[in-house]
Amino acid sequence: MAPSQASYAPSLDNLIKSFNSQPLEASIESLIFLLKRRQVKGDECARATAHILRQVVAKSKWHDVDQLLSRVQSAGSRLVRAAPLEPVIGNIVRRVLGLIRDEASEDRNNADDVTSEAASDIQTLGPSAPPPLPRPVPVPIRPGPSAISAGMQVSKSMFNLLSVADPGDSPATGASTPLSQAQPASVHALRSEVMDGIEEILDEINQADDQIAGFSDIQIHPGDYVLAYQPTRSVERFLVKAASKRRFTVIIACLDSPNSGAAEPPYATLRKKLNTAGVNTINLVSNGLMAYIPRVNKVIFGAKAVYQNGGLLVDSGCCIAAQAAHEHLKPVIVLCPVYKFCPEDPSDEVSRGELGTPSSYVSYANGPGVDALEVENTVTDYIPPELVDVYLTNLGPQTRHHLASILADHYKTEDIGFSLQLGEP
Amino acid sequence: MAGEGNGAPSGAPATQDGPKPKSTPPPANSTGTPTNTSPEKLTPAQLKAKAKAEKAARRAQVKEARAAAASPATPTQEKGAAGTDTKGGKGKGKQDVQQASNRPRPSVSGRRPSMPIVEKDARSGIPESFSHVPMAKRIPMSQAHKDVHPAVLAVGQQMATFALKDSISRLKATLLAFRKVIESYETPKGNSLSRHFVPHVLNPQIEYLTECRPMCFAMGNAIRLLKGKVNKFDIDTAEDEAKEGLLEWIDLLINERITLAEFSIARNAAQSIKEGDTILTYGRHRLVEKTLLEAKRNGKSFDVTIIDDPYERSGQELAKALRQAGIHVLYSPNLGGLRPKVAEASNVFLGGEAIFANGSLHAASGTADVAMAAMNAGVKVIVLCETINFDRDRVSVDALTYNEIDPERNTADCFRLLFDVTHDKYITGVITEFESGGGNSPAQAILALLRKQEDPLIA
Repeated sequence: MAPSQASYAPSLDNLIKSFNSQPLEASIESLIFLLKRRQVKGDECARATAHILRQVVAKSKWHDVDQLLSRVQSAGSRLVRAAPLEPVIGNIVRRVLGLIRDEASEDRNNADDVTSEAASDIQTLGPSAPPPLPRPVPVPIRPGPSAISAGMQVSKSMFNLLSVADPGDSPATGASTPLSQAQPASVHALRSEVMDGIEEILDEINQADDQIAGFSDIQIHPGDYVLAYQPTRSVERFLVKAASKRRFTVIIACLDSPNSGAAEPPYATLRKKLNTAGVNTINLVSNGLMAYIPRVNKVIFGAKAVYQNGGLLVDSGCCIAAQAAHEHLKPVIVLCPVYKFCPEDPSDEVSRGELGTPSSYVSYANGPGVDALEVENTVTDYIPPELVDVYLTNLGPQTRHHLASILADHYKTEDIGFSLQLGEP
Repeated sequence: MAGEGNGAPSGAPATQDGPKPKSTPPPANSTGTPTNTSPEKLTPAQLKAKAKAEKAARRAQVKEARAAAASPATPTQEKGAAGTDTKGGKGKGKQDVQQASNRPRPSVSGRRPSMPIVEKDARSGIPESFSHVPMAKRIPMSQAHKDVHPAVLAVGQQMATFALKDSISRLKATLLAFRKVIESYETPKGNSLSRHFVPHVLNPQIEYLTECRPMCFAMGNAIRLLKGKVNKFDIDTAEDEAKEGLLEWIDLLINERITLAEFSIARNAAQSIKEGDTILTYGRHRLVEKTLLEAKRNGKSFDVTIIDDPYERSGQELAKALRQAGIHVLYSPNLGGLRPKVAEASNVFLGGEAIFANGSLHAASGTADVAMAAMNAGVKVIVLCETINFDRDRVSVDALTYNEIDPERNTADCFRLLFDVTHDKYITGVITEFESGGGNSPAQAILALLRKQEDPLIA
């Protein structure tokens, strides 16, 4: 919900700023702390994860690709464990791992290609990052096709699996690839390239909302009644963008407890923006939505994550909207940037939903109530894929039948279960 | 009747209390004097001094009613107003004859000019797409039409303020108020009850009630039956006999269609609860509560999941009541996580306001979402509903056909409808007082049954 985002956003920004000055371990710990207290959630998890992994790449000690992978994996799995219901964290970790593998294999395969294009691409680096160097590295050439090298990487990570017990030390084993003998220069180059890659991921995260909003005039037609369920920032941007081109009506619904929005009606800023653009808004304060769906042309909400079967993790209540719209054959449009696609299936935990604080519904001042009630306030929902019509990503609209190709483009199979590969942090 | 004590929701029996010592009239009497003059000019010359005395009594009563409205309408004051009706009622009938000619629309003529502005304000915030939906409104008692019987006035106020909320308690209060209207009715000379009562006495009451809050379908049914009953009297029927018949009929209706119905529905539905079941329900509905408590009394052990509406929170009361009876209750304050919760339930029990001719259920907003989720999860959805709530004349395919706007949330900032419509494909069965248990007969079957036996006792 928008107001609370505003309240904790500065703390995250401060945290990200502090990453540069703090030791790595302290940064990770403070982020884990925020994650555990659910003070960083949703889209911000992605940003925070990317930032912290950038620090991991920049600051931690590593001498070869294996070590780097293992560092990222261990930091990543700690973050994932801190917030098990924020799959976005895992996605970013996987993206970074895939990035490292790509860079490493590029190094290996194109070792002759000394004039790496990366050197020219690099613009800014973190202060702790060494200046980018061209790579005059005589890495031993692996003569096989890339498929073989990929296979070797899989075996590498399995060796990592065995060397978990001592991840701090170099897990260099006899089976290590020639990269383990790589010179410091190569390490520097890899470091900078990986950090560039992470910057790109961050850019992607930051631009995703705008890119999605670019599709708004395709999806929203003049005169539509659009039901926006608990509009997230992406949805808000989408609607505001659409409002600049179309005249329609937005029905905003949310599941907030009546107490929490006492100060001002919820989504006041969004409504103001839309109203000035000439778009009517109606704030629904209603539990059920079936009554309004006949009036509505389409339902829009943002997802917290998209699983590989097409199922969604969403704020609780969205499921009601999706279900009601589905029954009335109204399209359900889900805004989900590509970085929210998880190469996983939803766990039981996900489909049961996360429990939030009951105190906004049953006050602790109400003694008999507290005694008598076993309150279950579910704050996340799982939406099965059948209920969703359009997945609107920053790469364009998708249907659930083609999600596999997106996943294949963005993740490496060996990284999918990364958090399981490492036991203890 | 076994359920007599059970049947009365808290607000309902206010009108039942007969003549009661008046609550002290608040000092705000002077505010009302302007409207008081209106009956004066209508008084024809041929009325004798006796009529004047009656008028004085009536005036005092109007003042009192107004005072009750001016201060926040507390039940005791309303009771006081209701209690006086037997005295004023006699004059009322006469007054009615005289006014019959110059009463184009009672709802308008009796108003103060300030009222329309207030009215407009209340509806002006409603978004255009929902502007056709009616809304309850509080009419100050002083602005009600003077033909409105004090007992009906009180009921109207209670409905407008949602002190009487669900269809059955509204129906019951209305019937009891009409009982008073009939008691105090006197057929004017040269008229007969069967011709005069409905157009000149009953209709203004109904109009007033409808203005306070759109009538529920049970009230519509009862009023239709009542009018039919009145029309059936032979034109020569003695007045006392007719009145007696009507009063008896109302008692019968209350007993059979409300009290007994509630009892037998609870009994039937309780039979369908099995040992170890998990029953899921939405909000708090009288019949569901009765059913669960009844099943517990029968010695069954089962769990209850209550899904609540955060804007009503009536489910909390239900949770407390059930917890006191020793039933394990899981309480969910909103519809979040509905699918997994519904999937774990063995039965879903829902109460309703009305069932339409196409079998769809008119019930508190959110019911349809619960029913739909349950049906999709393969869980039985059982609706408990008295047959008086079945409306055989209306068909509603979506919730915007017949609905009400929440009078407290009626602007674009904050908007809410009170009801939604559950399509009959989401309902496994309906339990009414007609059927013996099971809950497997669809609403359509009951409608057919109702059509067949328009109860010979009642109609």
